[in-house]
Amino acid sequence: MDIELQHTNEAIITRYTDQPVRLPAELRRAIEERWDGAPVQLYALADLDQALSLAETWVALGPNHLATARRSGERWVIESVWRSRVEAVREAPGLSASTLTILGRPGDPALLVARYTHRQRRAFENLRFVLEEAIAGRAIPTPDADREYADGVARPIRDAQALVAGQRIAVIRRLLGYLTPYRRRLTLGMSAAAVITLVSLVPPYLAGYLIDRVIRPAQQGSLPLGRASLIAWVAVGAMALVYLVRQGAALVRLRLMAILGEWVARDLRAELYEHIQRLSLAFFSRKKTGSLITRVSADTDRLWEFLAFGVVDVSLSLVMLAGLSAVLLSLDWRLGLVMTLPVPLFCWLIYRHGESINRLFIRAWRKWSRVSDVLSDTIPGIRVVKAFNQEDREIARFGERNEDVTAEFNRIHHLWTGFWPFLMLGVHTMTVLVWVFAVPRLLGTGAALQAGTFVSFLLYTTMFVAPIEIIGQMARTMNRATTSAHRVFEVLDTEPEVRDAAAPVRLEPVRGRVTFEHVTFAYDGVRQVLKGVSFDVLPGELIGLVGSSGGGKSTIVNLIARFYDVTGGAIRIDGVDLRRLDTGHFRRQIGMVLQDPYLFHGTVLENIRYGLPQAALDEVIAAAQAANAHDFVCKLPHGYDTLVGERGHTLSGGERQRVSIARAILHDPRILILDEATSAVDTETEREIQQALERLIAGRTVFAIAHRLSTLRKASRLFVIEDGRLAEAGTHRELLDRSEGRYRKLYEMQLQLA
Amino acid sequence: MTTVMVGETPVRADTEVTLERRADGQLWATQRGTVRAVSVRRCFPWSEPGRLVSLRDQEDEEFALVSDPAALDRSSRRALEEAMVEAGFVLRVTRVLDIEEEVEIRRWRVETGQGPRRFVTRLDDWPRALPGGGLLIRDVAGDLYHLADPSQMDRESRELLWAFVD
Repeated sequence: MDIELQHTNEAIITRYTDQPVRLPAELRRAIEERWDGAPVQLYALADLDQALSLAETWVALGPNHLATARRSGERWVIESVWRSRVEAVREAPGLSASTLTILGRPGDPALLVARYTHRQRRAFENLRFVLEEAIAGRAIPTPDADREYADGVARPIRDAQALVAGQRIAVIRRLLGYLTPYRRRLTLGMSAAAVITLVSLVPPYLAGYLIDRVIRPAQQGSLPLGRASLIAWVAVGAMALVYLVRQGAALVRLRLMAILGEWVARDLRAELYEHIQRLSLAFFSRKKTGSLITRVSADTDRLWEFLAFGVVDVSLSLVMLAGLSAVLLSLDWRLGLVMTLPVPLFCWLIYRHGESINRLFIRAWRKWSRVSDVLSDTIPGIRVVKAFNQEDREIARFGERNEDVTAEFNRIHHLWTGFWPFLMLGVHTMTVLVWVFAVPRLLGTGAALQAGTFVSFLLYTTMFVAPIEIIGQMARTMNRATTSAHRVFEVLDTEPEVRDAAAPVRLEPVRGRVTFEHVTFAYDGVRQVLKGVSFDVLPGELIGLVGSSGGGKSTIVNLIARFYDVTGGAIRIDGVDLRRLDTGHFRRQIGMVLQDPYLFHGTVLENIRYGLPQAALDEVIAAAQAANAHDFVCKLPHGYDTLVGERGHTLSGGERQRVSIARAILHDPRILILDEATSAVDTETEREIQQALERLIAGRTVFAIAHRLSTLRKASRLFVIEDGRLAEAGTHRELLDRSEGRYRKLYEMQLQLA
Repeated sequence: MTTVMVGETPVRADTEVTLERRADGQLWATQRGTVRAVSVRRCFPWSEPGRLVSLRDQEDEEFALVSDPAALDRSSRRALEEAMVEAGFVLRVTRVLDIEEEVEIRRWRVETGQGPRRFVTRLDDWPRALPGGGLLIRDVAGDLYHLADPSQMDRESRELLWAFVD
């Protein structure tokens, strides 16, 4: 883990929790002094005391000691015991707190009892794991104590939100950085927008000028009619020109900025998708597919909107408002003040309205999620609903929630439909006030006011509303954009957890020997799914992996394919540590046939050639024949050119499986993984698939997971994986001969069920 | 009291289970001559918190099911009740000081019966209304925060909670 991630974890702990980012330095020193200089290797914070109140007690582990440090006023009370006395570790999990009890000899008082909330659980599981490994006589590498602690506490928050918020400006700046390649276009677009803003100020001025300087003097006879007519027509022409320029600039601005925004969105999408392809499976298990798709589609689209229009609209609205205020004040400062003074109030009112409506939206979204819950429950589960005759209850449940959410949305409509007319009434009140102040002056009382100036003034006032609205909603616009940018940058900033070594090794050729040496693995870095698994598989062996669900079988094959890196121990391929291999090259030697084979949208041919796009057609046919797929493919109206549709829905499960086997055969892997390849098909199809698989596995190292043990009779050896450990290993016959063996029990149970 | 041995037909066996907290800090259960260190798990922590308690051994297998702690002998009942307090521990929110939204998360600052606490929930992880009344909030780490009766909280807390309470 790099320093940057450590900093992020510490920033998360500081921002979102009340606990220290690491064991206090003075306490660490005191503990190490107590241990005669031995270092603290791992620690955790027990944030509950014995009375289950929030407290600060540290539990530290050294090479030979275990210590607790309890805060007592300004002092720390440190108690230390020898690790050699530890004989067992027990964790009792509760609803929101766990108790870790470290035991010495049976019957003796506990050496240590620590209580902590779930926030500390990962750090304590690390401690527990290290202690249990030591009790079992297994040494594990010394971890980085600060790193493990900070990661344990920060990880759930980091997983929920990868970027620490509070960096909104930095996010906006980074987003605007994507405009850099299009500087010229951006400058042109901004200039066009500036022209629109400026020329928009001209027509009202011309209107006032015409009335005061041309029409009225002409009516009063102080300006000759011919000259007045000439000036008027020039002014009208100028006005027409202004409108022409304005709309020309609008065209340039809209087109340039829309296209520019689209390019930036395209760049973001491309970068995002490329990055997603390189990320490790661990990332995909943390993030929902829908959420990732949204980031590539909806979020980039929202960013387009912001870059194409938001940036310009907000900046030009500020310019427009400042320009209008200046013009109004210069035309007539008294009336100008009437119009401009309330503007900040209007902006504030719009902002407050946004806040209020946001609160209502939270409530509405919560209720909306209850409606969605019913839909996502009952539509996929409609067979259960019908089987239990619960349609009426579900209709009532939906109806009630539907009513509820409608009431909330109506509350929102009630608010905004009241607010905007109220705001416009405020604007109109200003206009009326302008009239109130202007009428006496127009009629000759008070300071002189010319009719034309007043008309200009009135025309300018109508231009006030749009920029006020945009500025009032600026906070929301920025908020939406930064949220989307955050979500996009979160993915871009995630580093693949499986990375190639600096000088990766290429095995030419891969022979297929697979060795596990004390392999431990945890998906979340704490809970060990594999606990010290060791075996050595020779090239060409067929290994059956059996055992109950959740025992660790799929994890073993995921590790062989290097979808994840081991947490402890090592996996060797032909004697070389898997982490030293060139991952791309190695994966080309791996084939997988899964229980639910995934076929991409495309033709049968494209799917078979997925791993080897250049394969010749006769090779494709040979692979399909070996996979027992050729016959059914030829019966399809379009043969190998048949579109199999999204997830291959037009094919049956057995057919999809055989296409996936053909894909694996063509790929010609040295190591093959079969994960429940025949479990989802009928007996006849299973026979055909089994036949295809036998052709596929010949001469390769194969790891086959199967619940139906009868399918693994031909395995060279069977590995029984239970609770993350290799419980038994041997041939089918050898394992059946063990009278109390786990495999024998499983086998007999299946015979009884058959 | 009813106890059910795992793998056997459920039987009614009043007062068969005895419990004690030993010097090693663990809760030990004895049933029909078998003694195990156990932890307790309430089967219905919110709808029936005082009854139907599962006693789990170190392998997290059910050793016995206590349907009514009141039927246990006095010392066993006391030992079980202590263990149930630990097992049923949640942070009791007494005051909500602040709720703020950020990208994909919601930040909470609260006072609890156990002390002040800040925590984070996912935006789409809404507080859950409990069968017996009150609200339950689950943070991203899995910690639970119980608001026994939001309507009885101070005005500011009620204001902040308004969007989350029916």
